[in-house]
Amino acid sequence: MDCRKYQSQFNSYLDRDLSPTEREKLQFHLSECLLCYRQWSSLQKTHELLRQLPTLDPPEHLSAVVMARLKDRGFHQPLKFLTTLPRWLPMGVGVALFLLISVALWQVMPSQYPWQSLFPSSRKNVTTSIGPSEQPQEGITIRRGDSASPVPVMVLRVKDFSRAHQALESMLRSFDKPMPQKRGANPSFHSDSAQLIDVQVPGQRFPHLLRELDKIGHLDHSEVEMHRLANSQQKKSISIRIVIIGNGSDVEIRRLPK
Amino acid sequence: MDRRSLAQKSSSVKHKEEQLLVDRCQQGDRDSFAKLMQLHQRQIYNFTYRMLGSAEEAEDLTQDIFIAVFKGIKSFRGEAKFSTWLYRIALNQTRNRIKYLARRNFFAKRTKREGLEEDMGLETPETLPDSGPTPEQWAMTKDLAAQVQECLNQMGRQAQQILILRDVQGFSYEELSEMLSLKPGTVKSRLHRARNALHQCLAGKLE
Repeated sequence: MDCRKYQSQFNSYLDRDLSPTEREKLQFHLSECLLCYRQWSSLQKTHELLRQLPTLDPPEHLSAVVMARLKDRGFHQPLKFLTTLPRWLPMGVGVALFLLISVALWQVMPSQYPWQSLFPSSRKNVTTSIGPSEQPQEGITIRRGDSASPVPVMVLRVKDFSRAHQALESMLRSFDKPMPQKRGANPSFHSDSAQLIDVQVPGQRFPHLLRELDKIGHLDHSEVEMHRLANSQQKKSISIRIVIIGNGSDVEIRRLPK
Repeated sequence: MDRRSLAQKSSSVKHKEEQLLVDRCQQGDRDSFAKLMQLHQRQIYNFTYRMLGSAEEAEDLTQDIFIAVFKGIKSFRGEAKFSTWLYRIALNQTRNRIKYLARRNFFAKRTKREGLEEDMGLETPETLPDSGPTPEQWAMTKDLAAQVQECLNQMGRQAQQILILRDVQGFSYEELSEMLSLKPGTVKSRLHRARNALHQCLAGKLE
């Protein structure tokens, strides 16, 4: 037990880190215990070997090579104007660039956040996810809002947008329960010549709605979509999205693949 | 004036001189950097050599360390000693180099003793002064040094660096603690483990 205790002090003894009392005790033990003395002697030799490792001279050309490398990399003379620039400048430039890119992206990206509805005119692109897959074209697209569930989209092309819009509003009011959904909060597209309206109608009254819409303007919807809607007539209510677009509107619809 | 106060005065002068060189380097003075490098290159070269066990790699790494020092010298604020700051860079660069070399099987490819003795930088017996050790003694020393280096190469990086910094280069526990960002107690226990590992390795070789 004593041996183990003394052996654990060997390293501190090497570092001259023992108190005088501890040192005396250890020295006394080493003079009496051959096993510990051999171990200590061996450790001490190892330590000595390490300390006596020869110090090597670095190659003579070392500093010349380093200076040459610094010169090659243009580190030899710092540009004075760079040293006088304030330290915050790189960070400031970074923040400015970040803001610039963010604003640019915000302008280009379609509506995804509620506050973007405050600036409808800044948002010209809306995209639908219905219809056959076509390659997106240059121009304006219509996106299906933030709704998580797929909503059938019907495009209604009209000659006079404002009149058609009014007719559509009154027609929707004539239904028993065809309440426009989340109109204010709807992140749908809105401009002077185009609007995106979400409506919910009783399933039985859906054919009537289609007929009314056909009266207001040219209803443009794919047969596939109609088929799907016809099958769902048994449902209590049907949600659809109507995109009403006036003639001469610069709004185009891009039908993107699902 | 006794010897200790003389040594302290000399150290203080050296420190002031070094600080002056650092200040000039921070203003982009190349000549001062060259002088600063002259002051430290021997120690750094030896450190890298002991860490890598190859003169060529040590030279290359020492160059990289000093280039990194030049690049980063403006960030040196004098809170620690310059040598401590320099060694922190050296330790980082060495760690990266060891990783790089390990990926390329540098350490595995090295044959057991290949080139080691040539790398040791020892003079050959023919060039030794008459008063020095005999060729037999010299061969023994050289062989032992090679064995020690071989054991160092076989150790883990942390153990290796702590042994070299403390037992070969003679840094204090406080300095090691700052360089390695470790508590002095941790430094001590790691050093003790490393010494024991080296002891075992050498005992195995010299039996």
